[in-house]
Amino acid sequence: MVQTHHSLKTPVFALLVAVLLGGCASSARLEQSPGSPTGGSAAPNSSAPNGSAPNSPSPGSPTPVPPPPRQNSLSPATLSLVTQARSLLAHGEFDGASSTLDRALRIEPNNPLLWIELGRLRLAERDPHQAEGCARKALALASGDPSARKQSGRVLADALRAQGHNQEAREVESQPFMN
Amino acid sequence: MPRSRAPRRRRRFLLKCLLFAGLALAAAIAVIAVWVVHLDGVVTREFQGRHWSVPARVFAAPLELYVGAPVSAGDVEDELHRLHYHAGDPSTGPGIYLRHGDSFDVQARRVRFSDELREPTRLSIRASGGAITDLKYANGTELPVFRLDPPIVGSIFPVHGEDRLVLAPADVPPLLRTGIKLIEDRRFDEHHGVDVVGVLRALWADLRAGRVVQGGSTLTQQLVKNYFLSDEQTIGRKATEAIMALRLEAHYSKEEILVAYLNEVYLGQDGARAIHGFGLASEYYFAKPLAELDVDEMALLIGLVKGPSFYDPRKHPDRARARRNLVLQELADAHVIDPAAAKRAAANPLALKPPGGGYVPAYLDLVRRHLKRDYAEADLAAAGLAVYTSLDPRAQAAAELALTSNLKRLDAASRVRGSHLEGAVIVAEPNSGDVVAVVGGREVGADGFNRALDARRPIGSLVKPAVYLTAIETGRYNAATVIEDAPIELKLGDGSIWAPQNFEHQVYGRVPMARALAESMNLATVRLGLDLGLPQVVETLQRLGLETAPTLNPSLLLGTVEMTPLEVVEVYTSLANGGFRARMRAVHAVLDEQGRPLKSFKVQVEAAAPPSAVYQLDRMLTLVTTRGTGRDAPTRLPRGTVVAGKTGTSSDTRDSWFAGFTGSYVAVVWVGYDDNHVTGLTGAAGALPVWADTLAKLKSASFQPVAPELVEDRWIGYGDGLETTPGCSADAVLVSVPKDTVLPRKPDCIPSPPAPVSDKIKAWFKRIIH
Repeated sequence: MVQTHHSLKTPVFALLVAVLLGGCASSARLEQSPGSPTGGSAAPNSSAPNGSAPNSPSPGSPTPVPPPPRQNSLSPATLSLVTQARSLLAHGEFDGASSTLDRALRIEPNNPLLWIELGRLRLAERDPHQAEGCARKALALASGDPSARKQSGRVLADALRAQGHNQEAREVESQPFMN
Repeated sequence: MPRSRAPRRRRRFLLKCLLFAGLALAAAIAVIAVWVVHLDGVVTREFQGRHWSVPARVFAAPLELYVGAPVSAGDVEDELHRLHYHAGDPSTGPGIYLRHGDSFDVQARRVRFSDELREPTRLSIRASGGAITDLKYANGTELPVFRLDPPIVGSIFPVHGEDRLVLAPADVPPLLRTGIKLIEDRRFDEHHGVDVVGVLRALWADLRAGRVVQGGSTLTQQLVKNYFLSDEQTIGRKATEAIMALRLEAHYSKEEILVAYLNEVYLGQDGARAIHGFGLASEYYFAKPLAELDVDEMALLIGLVKGPSFYDPRKHPDRARARRNLVLQELADAHVIDPAAAKRAAANPLALKPPGGGYVPAYLDLVRRHLKRDYAEADLAAAGLAVYTSLDPRAQAAAELALTSNLKRLDAASRVRGSHLEGAVIVAEPNSGDVVAVVGGREVGADGFNRALDARRPIGSLVKPAVYLTAIETGRYNAATVIEDAPIELKLGDGSIWAPQNFEHQVYGRVPMARALAESMNLATVRLGLDLGLPQVVETLQRLGLETAPTLNPSLLLGTVEMTPLEVVEVYTSLANGGFRARMRAVHAVLDEQGRPLKSFKVQVEAAAPPSAVYQLDRMLTLVTTRGTGRDAPTRLPRGTVVAGKTGTSSDTRDSWFAGFTGSYVAVVWVGYDDNHVTGLTGAAGALPVWADTLAKLKSASFQPVAPELVEDRWIGYGDGLETTPGCSADAVLVSVPKDTVLPRKPDCIPSPPAPVSDKIKAWFKRIIH
């Protein structure tokens, strides 16, 4: 169940886009690189919006710019908490793992990877109903990030199956984003 | 013979008297014996099984530090002060920090979190530009994330208000042990509970002075009096006290009695909260653990025993200082401390912790109700639990100040004579449902009617987003759909005619849904709601968080439904959270007196409404704060911060509401009179400034949710709802609609037809290359 998070890819990707975008001020906003000083709970860094800012007309852009594919990642702070939570979970310390993920979520509440993690923990705790809630939340936040959507979809299907909703689970698995 | 009869009769009478007296004496002795046995029983039973009533201690959320955390150097220092860390050499012990410019060298204390007991830790923190830029252990190792101590914010004490921190025998400093005996009961180590010599000496002193100058009660008697007896001053009670003191001494060691005394003794009053025991008194007066007190501070506490209100160092500093110096003198005379040290200590100022601050009765009330589901009131007040909450002291302070300052301003401007507006604020974190601040009224530090939890009022237009969400969910409506704002009359069930009006009695005609919501049009909303069906609208409200079942009256579309601010924040959290309902959470975990986990409360989220429909609605709510009735909401936030929200005003302006969210917080404000009087304030005039001032103090990200894949942004005319371009229409606004929705276009403004995705990507690359 342990997934590797590509925490290095995002800054590189963001940098590439930043170079390409040089001077084009009205374009879509960039993701901040993990650990940037303006990140944190006030500006969840790995889950910046992928649309343009609502209602800030930018003359000359008749159609809003389609977003580039996204790649969510964990910041060093949340990565260390996730690592800690996994180790607690491996020792059967569900409550400790849960409160450790709580801390991570307080830092990056909109990061789908953390909700995926929490969904997996809820499955391990045999609380598939809550796992389903977390997975659906992850799926919504993972919009535009194929890898995170696929992971969310897996947790969702498992959560549905654990509640006996096999048909719904199969439907999730047959969604295009699961391929 | 007659002569001998009289003496015999007298003798018989005397005998009878003697017999009677003897019987009476025997009876008295028996009664006393039974009484002593009874008191002995009381003493042993109660004292043996004694557990100090230790109220549950409530902790706020710890401040998380990590590189990138939006925490300035000033914030770090404020938090260290809140935690009573002192400036100094951090290598000398925990609780000490050193600041150089924007860098801190800290030795963090040993501290228990809900999930961890952390040993003292040396670390260095650097902050610049309002964020943490560097975080390391003292040895230079990177520290990815570190939380400071959770600040204590209060305790849940019982109605009679007894609060204490219990000391174990090992926690009692030698100076206190010696000092308390010296001042209160010199012969403590010799007597057996009652000090006859002491009583005589006191009596003699009283006689010479002509008034009561000495008490003569031993520590044991004082303990008995406080622990077992009421406050009445009668001979009977004095006797009971003496007997119980003797029995207590017969059963327990001097050490046990002394430590019990130090934990029991009353040492001050903080509003409804009675400060008991030296452990808590040390925190209350000096914000330090007892072990860290200096000689003069300890002397002050010892001196307070004689009369905590008479010598109250905050109210009567001169008396308190004189009393402290008297204690210091006695300590020096008895060679407990060095005379020179006593002299130096006597010159010290009182150095008290600033009074009050941080008492958050409304939040504690929420915690108490939350815990009442699982714990008896008695356990909360007495079992020594540790309760870890999501309270954010910064958000709480911001909300308190925003409410009190705005109500004062609004009162001064009010035409109502003797205006005394009330209000309530709740702030939460939308993703987790964590409640971070609760203000229950303008007397923020006082217990009382908690309006945030208990004021159930009509929500006015705060209900409208539920109507528009219901519309979007049908798939028949979107932000650009034109609806009719025109007069309407309805015959109600009771035969009366209901003819709602817009707030300023005008009629707007055909308007796009986005504008009808932004400007809170009543007629358009009623028509839309009736078309959708009242049960459908109520069902949406209930999915979002409404727990009650309102009567299906058309006026509910304009917010006659009554809710508390807490219920409203739950509904708006579902909107801020992209259609996921989060259970509102104040308490994260409860630990017992030994630090063992008893209970934890987890984040709970559940899908309540389709994320894409909620996203479209939320984007409409951002128009409320840019074009509509909530235009002033973002003005106090950093420029460009995107805010979504809704104003609410109940009939005749009896209730003024604002509910809204940024990317970081969801907050609800209510302003009105307790007697339901007309305020003359709309939601925008009354509640909104409180909301804006609260959020302005918090570091808040823009509300920029991740766009679902099923929707796309389109420009429409705010006035006519026709698709347009910003270059073509001055009133063009960006709305979110389902992908590939066919929108009527504004003539002569020809936006390109929706391009296939591959073309969009090509266009995007073209743009970034140019």
